[in-house]
Amino acid sequence: MDNSAQSAEEERNRAQVQLIAAMSRGDKTALAGLYDQLATPLYSLAYRMLGDAGEAEDLVQDILLQVWRTAGSYDTSRGSVFSWIATLTRNRAIDRIRMRKRRSELLANAAPDLQPAAPEGDADSAGSLWLREKAAAVRAALAELAPDQQQAIELAYFSGLTQQEIAAQLNEPLGTIKARIRRGLLRLKDRLPSRL
Amino acid sequence: MISERHEELATLYTLGLLEREDRRAFESDLAGNAELRSLKADLAETTAALTLSVCSFAPPASLRARVLAAAGAESRHEAALAPVFRFPRWLPLAAAAGLAVTAIWLGRQNLSLREQNTALRTERELAELAYQAAQSQLQERTLLAEGMINDLGRQLREQQDLTRLKVTALASLAGNTPTAQAIAVWDPGRETGLLTIDRLPVIADSQDYQIWVVDPAYPIPVDGGVFKPGEDGRAVLTFHGDKPIRSVAAFAISLEKKGGVPKAEGPIVLLGKF
Repeated sequence: MDNSAQSAEEERNRAQVQLIAAMSRGDKTALAGLYDQLATPLYSLAYRMLGDAGEAEDLVQDILLQVWRTAGSYDTSRGSVFSWIATLTRNRAIDRIRMRKRRSELLANAAPDLQPAAPEGDADSAGSLWLREKAAAVRAALAELAPDQQQAIELAYFSGLTQQEIAAQLNEPLGTIKARIRRGLLRLKDRLPSRL
Repeated sequence: MISERHEELATLYTLGLLEREDRRAFESDLAGNAELRSLKADLAETTAALTLSVCSFAPPASLRARVLAAAGAESRHEAALAPVFRFPRWLPLAAAAGLAVTAIWLGRQNLSLREQNTALRTERELAELAYQAAQSQLQERTLLAEGMINDLGRQLREQQDLTRLKVTALASLAGNTPTAQAIAVWDPGRETGLLTIDRLPVIADSQDYQIWVVDPAYPIPVDGGVFKPGEDGRAVLTFHGDKPIRSVAAFAISLEKKGGVPKAEGPIVLLGKF
């Protein structure tokens, strides 16, 4: 990643931090600005994990309202705004997946090792230029991984499965799965900018 | 230098895959290792970036308005609950004075509470008596409810028994009794039937109507007995075959000589099939 791109990244993250600060003061236009920047990736993540457009909508609304309420607690030393909110969204989606599991629904149906059917709207045309460029960069970096590493990482990130469940689903020893995740994620880290 | 073991723990930690004990141990390691903290922070960004690897879909346009409306509603609610308040400078002195007054007030309250304690003890004893009375009432009602449940169960079983009865309407076969109406109910368990007939033609004294039970187990219909309707053409009677009946395919009524015959000879006037 060249220096100009790196500084653009930092500038964008600074702008998002300012939006969070404004939200902590009750500025609703800041929430609208953050929504415009992040709603698409958050919704796409929620949809990918849950496989249900309505549930994904509810989840994104819950998360953005949580961010609205707790904006004052955001600490820049703990990571970028995007990382913070994406992690909140993923964790909440995992909670829902595990709740389904408790309701005896088959987790295998929710484990998205395959792309679920698309909701209405044009795929990949949504979102800002920034998002489209970043998405392309992440996909390219993922594609450079060995297929077994890619599969283990995707399952670990999107499915809500435990280490043991991932090993069972891929029919591999637990140690092998851990090693694949370690090698794959470290390689991804080297390929991607430190902050998105 | 970070060990492979720590690298592995860091990747699993950022993906939320560590068990509770491993997670606590790793967090303890993080506290004393700046290099490990830096690795964990970078991995957290990398992990979050995986969000962008999914196929991208825009949420419905209505979601934006919904989020903003909900945020606005929360703001108004909080504003209503927590009005802005600034502490005045004289607050510490006022607080000290307030504490002194409160101490005096608490002393008085102590005496008052002792008196109230005695009254409350009496109230409690009364409440216990009321509780015991309520409990015995509850036990009585429980017994009553159990009785009602048993009754309902019995009624239900009786209704279920009714479902095994077979019912058929008998019709005039040859048009010789066009106005007659007849219903036959057969209880297979008891091998007994109930026949209700209306508007059956009145017959001579030398004749009888005879009931036949058609059971495929026998080559000819089984004799179910004879009867004679009243002058109004009505008859209600129970009947059963003169042989054991395994299954009933039909009932028939024929016009025979008085006292009946072992095998139907006269005209069949009514027939009802299952």
